[in-house]
This record gives sequence, structure tokens and C-alpha cells, in this order.
Amino acid sequence: MIARAALLLALAVGHLPQTRAVPQKDAPVKGSVEAHGPARSNFEQLSRAAEQARNESRDDEAMRFYQQALQLRPTWPEGLWYLSTLLYEKERYSEARDHLRRFLALNPQTGPAWALLGMSEFQTREYARSLDHLQRAMSLGLGDRKEMAQSTFYFVAVLRTRFEHYTDSMNLLMAMVKSDQKTDLLVEPIGLAALRLPFLPAEIPADRRALVRLAGLAVLAMEAQRQEDTEKLFQQMMTDYGTEPGVHFLYGAFLMDQRPEEGMREMKRELEISPSSVAARVRMAEQLLKDEKPADALQLAQQAIELEPDSSTARLILGESLIATGDSTKGIAELEKARDAAPERVRTHWDLLRAYTAAGRPEDAKREKEAIEKLNTQTSQQ
Amino acid sequence: MGWLVEATPCIFLDMFAVSLVLVLTLTSQQTAPAKPQQSFHEIATQADAARTADRIQDAIELYSQGVRLRPSWTDGWWSLGSLLYEQDRFPEANAAFTRFAALAPKPGPAHAFLGLCEYETKDYNSALKHFRSWARAGWTGTPNLIDVAVFHFALLLTRDGKFLEALYLLATEEAKKGSSPALVEAMGLASLRMANLPEDYPPENREMVWLAGEAAFYASQDPRDFVRASEYSQRLLSRFCHEASVHFFRGTLFNFEHKAEEAAAEFRKAIQLSPDHAAAMVELARIDLTYDRPEEAFSLASRATELTPGDPEAHDVLGQVLFARDRFQESARELETAKRLAPDSSMIRVHLARTYGALGRRKEAQEEIAAVKLLKDKEQILAPLEDKTKIRVQPGPNKQQ
Repeated sequence: MIARAALLLALAVGHLPQTRAVPQKDAPVKGSVEAHGPARSNFEQLSRAAEQARNESRDDEAMRFYQQALQLRPTWPEGLWYLSTLLYEKERYSEARDHLRRFLALNPQTGPAWALLGMSEFQTREYARSLDHLQRAMSLGLGDRKEMAQSTFYFVAVLRTRFEHYTDSMNLLMAMVKSDQKTDLLVEPIGLAALRLPFLPAEIPADRRALVRLAGLAVLAMEAQRQEDTEKLFQQMMTDYGTEPGVHFLYGAFLMDQRPEEGMREMKRELEISPSSVAARVRMAEQLLKDEKPADALQLAQQAIELEPDSSTARLILGESLIATGDSTKGIAELEKARDAAPERVRTHWDLLRAYTAAGRPEDAKREKEAIEKLNTQTSQQ
Repeated sequence: MGWLVEATPCIFLDMFAVSLVLVLTLTSQQTAPAKPQQSFHEIATQADAARTADRIQDAIELYSQGVRLRPSWTDGWWSLGSLLYEQDRFPEANAAFTRFAALAPKPGPAHAFLGLCEYETKDYNSALKHFRSWARAGWTGTPNLIDVAVFHFALLLTRDGKFLEALYLLATEEAKKGSSPALVEAMGLASLRMANLPEDYPPENREMVWLAGEAAFYASQDPRDFVRASEYSQRLLSRFCHEASVHFFRGTLFNFEHKAEEAAAEFRKAIQLSPDHAAAMVELARIDLTYDRPEEAFSLASRATELTPGDPEAHDVLGQVLFARDRFQESARELETAKRLAPDSSMIRVHLARTYGALGRRKEAQEEIAAVKLLKDKEQILAPLEDKTKIRVQPGPNKQQ
């Protein structure tokens, strides 16, 4: 384990030589600051020495110079930034975090710094803050820093799963798969999100890792439309872990698109194992709506919302079911609640657009249309 | 941190991508320090204006100048502390709130902020002391501050082994704010009697903590949802049947449901797996007492006091057991020990009053009753929480009294 950790770390810092600029001709020689006692407190000299030490991969010295320089000029952004990155590389995450906070207090619009802060907080297990800051980095943008963006997305995805935002996590993970990211690193995060287990990959119990990997591989096969592989993986999952919560739901969700009747059967099996499963009820209600059985869908949607009143997905299905049963007034009210709870979900806006139009409310319909266009623009920009 | 490094896809990370270009393109916001000749009043006015205009860095700089010029400026320390806290600059915020607390006649919510800052700087013992001071002063502050502080207070109580108090506080948060993954995790730790913080418990225990937390959440919500609690509790059992803490927790859940015999079976299992599980002995002794099994109750309660002589619960139960066996003098001694260990527990006072009554010590009994009334008036004070959370076992067929 330690060896693997060391290897990963080595790979991470392996890029660092590229970060070292060519030493300046007039830069002080190694250790020159110590050699010139009276000049020690000189900020310019310290900052130059820090830069040179960093460029020459003398990290410990560089950090010391940066710290000394920052004592003289605590708001020196370059010093705060480089010191933070060096501390992060040395796995001194809490110190990196503290310096990044100071840096960001001065430069709050810097996406990469929020990303590095979020990653530091991930390491210090301040997960809520980490997710918040990584998402802020995503919204501010990371420019053309592809590797950092991939790291950020990864951390965001696994943290979303830990905070039980499984759908958001899965959406991000699938986007990462589509962008040709190395899928072997994504197998476990995908498996966790698919099984709706709020763990980080490092928190997977040893005797559950095989199940999680199987689920991840099945979803990846499904995404790549490798039908035969998908079936085979799901069959193996059913054989080995058929009594585990979440397994039948996952298989059922796959079958819904292929063989809906079998999908419904799997969902019912899931409810036998996990009687309070909201996700299974929602998925079944969706299928029942497709099958034009709105009364049955409504019943399941009502159960789902009773179990989880804060679930915007359950509320969306409840709204759709109510409208399908002819109760457009209540249906619209539920859809509006679903929209307010999750305004980024396009489907709710489409539902409302249709419902408002049918109810003769063109202004409201227009507003929903605008919301859809705005969301689509945002998606294409991302 | 080895496990985390392994878990982290560090190979994605390329520092080069964020290096020099970033720094060179930074638009460093310059603060607007006041001119040296400015008076304190001018600086104070500018500081307030900067804060109102959301120019945070300027405001911090100006408040810092203001308190340097006039160290007794309590409002300045408060504003400075608040702004630094908002920026997650906890050590600096802590210093500012410390100055404020030393100057202000009623520090009030400053103690909550101090607790929060010290939590973040990992000075946990000081944080707990400050939260207790805050609670004693009446839990003052904005609703948001109260929520955050209560939550962290509960985390520290768990770390300190005060699991029932922690659960009580978490349940009040649950009632106000509903479920959240953080709350569930905190409830899981306290329910399993793991004296850890969410940041420091072993990652391999995550599943156990999560399942216990979900079960605890549904069992303590209003109205209680024992069906869902049982679903998670059953999953917990199927995954961790060899963990004494899991059986203890399940026993507690059965007690909540007034299923005393099922609870007793779980507590017995906990003791079987962990022969020195004093908490399980105390709970089982309570049930034995109710079901008229005095021999076992006495044996368990005595053993519990030996194992955990500083636990008021153990002495309280032993005191009750001795009372039930008409050994009033010994009962009084145990209950007096319990009272000394938990002076704000009204339940212990009630038991002591009863024992004094049986001994004919009427004056002392009346004093205890008076103390109970006083304690009930202080319902917002933390200390009696354990009484509020005390599990009441449904009287059995051979009930006493």
C-alpha cells in the first residue's frame, strides 16, 4: 500500500521539473541568503532566493525562504501561492490549506487556487468544505489546465457520492468517461454512485470492493453499449450479491430500457430487500407513466415523497403523475416545487413548459422556455 | 494519510498547469490602509463602511488598525473576528474573539465562535470548554451560529465520550433542519459510542457509522420511524454482527421501541462480545430492575461501577438496585456518588430524594426535590440533557413500585 502511495505521489510530483523556470543569471547562488546575514530580512532577496530554490528543486529551502519573505510581506500573492503548492506536494495539507485561504482572501476569483484548496481539504477530511471549494473552482473555471480539471472533477464526483448526490455524481463521472479520461480510476467511483453507497473509494469495505467494481464495470459496459458484457457483468452481480441492497435496482434500471417487464420485476425485488427505497419507486413510477398507467405511477410517487419529502426527483415524478391523471393544478404545484428545489434540472422546466401551455399560461411557459435555453447554453459552455 | 494518498488520483495533478501563468495573471487586490495621520474615529468609520460595502480585505485591514490604535475597542475586535472567521482564517479569528471575550462584560456568542475556531485549529479541549461556557450563558447568537455551534459542540461531546448529550443535541438539530449526511455521520459515531470526530475515525468504519447514523436518525425523528430505523439496523447487524457496539446500539433502539426483552438480548450479546462493556451492563441492569431480576441487576451494576467508577449512570443504577433490595444506606452512598459526578442530573436527584425518604431523612429529601425543580427551570442548560434522553423501559409484568 505504501509503495503504491509512493508511486502515485512520485507520479504526481514527477511533473514538477517542468515547473522550474530556468534560473536567472543574476539570481543569488544556493544558500546565498544565509551567507549574507544583514540582507536576510530583505524581501527582494528572500523572494529571489525562494524562486531560485524552487526552480532548482530545493523545496525545503524554497519553503523556508517563502516563509521568511511572507513574514515581511504577509499578503505577497506569489509567495502564498508557491508556498501552498510546495506544502501540498510535501503532503503538508493543513499548512497548504491555511496559506491558500490567505491567498484566496486576496484573490477570490482564482479557480485553480480554489481547486488546490479543495484538494487540500479533501486530504484533511474536511469534506463539506472541500466539495464547496472544488465546485467553486469548477464554476470559476480552470482555464486550459486539463490535468487539474480532471483531478477537480474526480474529487467533486467522489464527494458528491459521499454527500448522497448520486445522480449529480454519476452525471459528472459519465462526462469524464466521455472525455476519454482513464476509466480504470473511475470504476469504483461509478460503482459507488450506481449502488448508492455514500463512501469514498478509500472507504469501501474490503469485502465490498469486488461488488463495487463489478457495478462500476457494468455501468461502463452499459455506457459503451457493450450489450453482451453488460449482461454478463450484471448476471455475475446477481449471482454473487443478489441479496445486497442496491443491486437489483441497478440491474432493473438497466433492464428498463431493454426489457421493461423484467426491469419492473427487478425493482420489485429491490423493494423487498430495501423496503424504503425511494429510487426504486421513482424509477418504477417513471416506467408506469411510459406504460400509460398514471394511477399506479401516482401511488408510487406519493409513497416516494412520503418517504423523502425533500427529494426533488420524487416531487418531479409526483408532478408528472398528477398531470397524467388529469390533476394539472396540483401537478403544476408539485413541478414548481421540484423546479425550485433543483432549478438546474432541464426536465422539470420542460414539464412545466408543457403544463403551463396546456393550462393557457403563456407567460409562465415563456419563462420556462427561457430557463431551458439558459441551461442548454450553460451545458454547452461546460 | 497513507490511505488517502493511495485513494487520491494524484496522477491527474500537474502543478505545472497552475504555476507561473497563474501567479503572473493574478490581480492582487490591494487593501486600502488608512493614512498614518488618521484618527481612530476616522478609521472606525472607514472600517464599518468597508464592511458594509463588502470590501472584506479593506475592512479587515482597517479594523486591525483600529484595534491597534485602541485595544479596548470591543466592537472592532468583534467585527474583526467575525470577518476573519467568515474567511476561514481561524487562528486569527480566534485571537480577535479572545480579545473581545476578555473585554466584553457579556461575551455571549463570542464563546461559540471561540469554540468553532478552536475546533478548526484542533484545540479540542478548549473548544469544548468554550461551548460549555456558551451553553451556560444561554446559547445566544444568530440562528445560523447556533446551528453550527450546536453541531460542533455535539461532535466534541462525542469525542469526549458524552454520547447521550451529543445525541440529544444532534436530535435537536435534526428536528430543526432535517437530515443531512453530516448529521447522519455524527449520529452514527455517537450511537456507536465511538469517541471520534468525523475527520479522524478509521475509514474502514465508514459503512458501520453510516448505517448506524441512518438508523439513529429515523429512530429519533418526530414522529419516530421505526420501520426505516429497523431497515438500517438490520443491515447493520447483517454486516457487523461481531461488533459489540452494534449490539449495544441495537439494544438502545429496541429500548426506544419499548421492546425490553429484545433490547436485553442485544445488551447481553454486547457483553458476550465485549465482557467489559460497562454501558451495556448499565442498560441491562436497568431492564433487569424493571423486570424484577434483582440478582443479575446487582451483579451487572456493581461490575459497571468497578469498570467505570467515574460514570454517574453506573452509580445511579446501582443505587436504584440497592434501593430495590431495601439496602437504603448503601443506595444513598451510590446515589450521592452519582450526584457528585453529575450534579445537574435531575433524575439522580429524584432517586436520591426517594432513598432519603426511605431513610427518614426528610429534610435532605426535600432539598433534593427543590433541586430537581431548579434544574427543570434550567432546561436550556446542557447538563440535564442525559435525563431528557434517558430511555424509559416499559414496565414489565413484575414491575416494581
